[in-house]
Amino acid sequence: MQFGLQWWLFAVALGTSMLGGMLGMASGIFIVPILTMFERIDIHTAIGASLVSVIACSSASAAPFLKERLTDIKLAILLETATTSGALCGVFLAGLIPTHYLLLLFALILLLSAQQMLARRKDRDDSSSVKRLPLGMTLMYGAGLISALLGIGSGVLKIPAMDTALRLPIKVSSATSNFMIGATAAASAAAYFARGEIATSVAAPIALGSVVGALLGARVLMKVPNEKLRLMFTAILVLLALQMLLAAFGINLIGPKS
Amino acid sequence: MRVEAALSGPLENLLGRLLHYGTLAASGLIALGLALGVAWGAVGVGIATAGIALFILLPTLRVAVMLIFFLRAGDYRYGAIAGLVLFIISLSFYIGTR
Repeated sequence: MQFGLQWWLFAVALGTSMLGGMLGMASGIFIVPILTMFERIDIHTAIGASLVSVIACSSASAAPFLKERLTDIKLAILLETATTSGALCGVFLAGLIPTHYLLLLFALILLLSAQQMLARRKDRDDSSSVKRLPLGMTLMYGAGLISALLGIGSGVLKIPAMDTALRLPIKVSSATSNFMIGATAAASAAAYFARGEIATSVAAPIALGSVVGALLGARVLMKVPNEKLRLMFTAILVLLALQMLLAAFGINLIGPKS
Repeated sequence: MRVEAALSGPLENLLGRLLHYGTLAASGLIALGLALGVAWGAVGVGIATAGIALFILLPTLRVAVMLIFFLRAGDYRYGAIAGLVLFIISLSFYIGTR
């Protein structure tokens, strides 16, 4: 593959990962739409590359959370039985689901992310209420399944599961979700890697760009007006969702004609 | 309870170090591979692929470390839970090779 494309992939991953880091959201959700729309990279190749970048980001940002004791590691390993089971199921389904259904599902998840970006999370007062573990486990299974199918971290599903079903403080659920994303994505990436479906020429520059971006993003966290950035991100998510929706029905407005 | 409190700290530090240095090593391999790729294509791709493999392996190693730690602490319930997660990830890899 051309040298120029690798620089572009590196830059795209760096940029999205840095912006994502500023808003505390994973950037994995941008990688597949960008790769499939602008570069016309096959969706399964894009998903494989995205999974590696999701693992890389999770590992790169886990250490500070662990040091501050924000990560609930016992809860994480318990919920990972559900997320990795879901991921394993996703590996089986990935080959069976037609591409336009994947695009449709992706559009839906993008819209859900946009909605979450607008509605800020609040800590609940009734933290004394009983933890609803079965509901939490079910949502986690779904998060793992979606992660394997779409190549995303599924923080968009994990965090609400922890906020609403398990009633954890925001900082704890963010740190624990980030910690779990690595093992969840590894459960599907391992199968894709063993099958030879992860293209090094695409995955390598993206993983590297994501790590550098995540580390930079954590440093510039407070210096940008958050409200404007939040609105801009919401708009981008909605636009990508619309584009994915069109692509699901075979219409592609952006990028070179195939 | 006292035992658990005494042990939960070191495990977090251990996992933090594993993930931190693992990320550095995997990123280093990928950067080296990409840089070499310009001059010697196949060698560079091989090294970058090793970096990708290391990234996928990191969370798996993290689960294995948790398994050993829980077992040594006599916490067999969480040992079994970590073992199950490790089994599922291994199963996924095994399915991929077939």
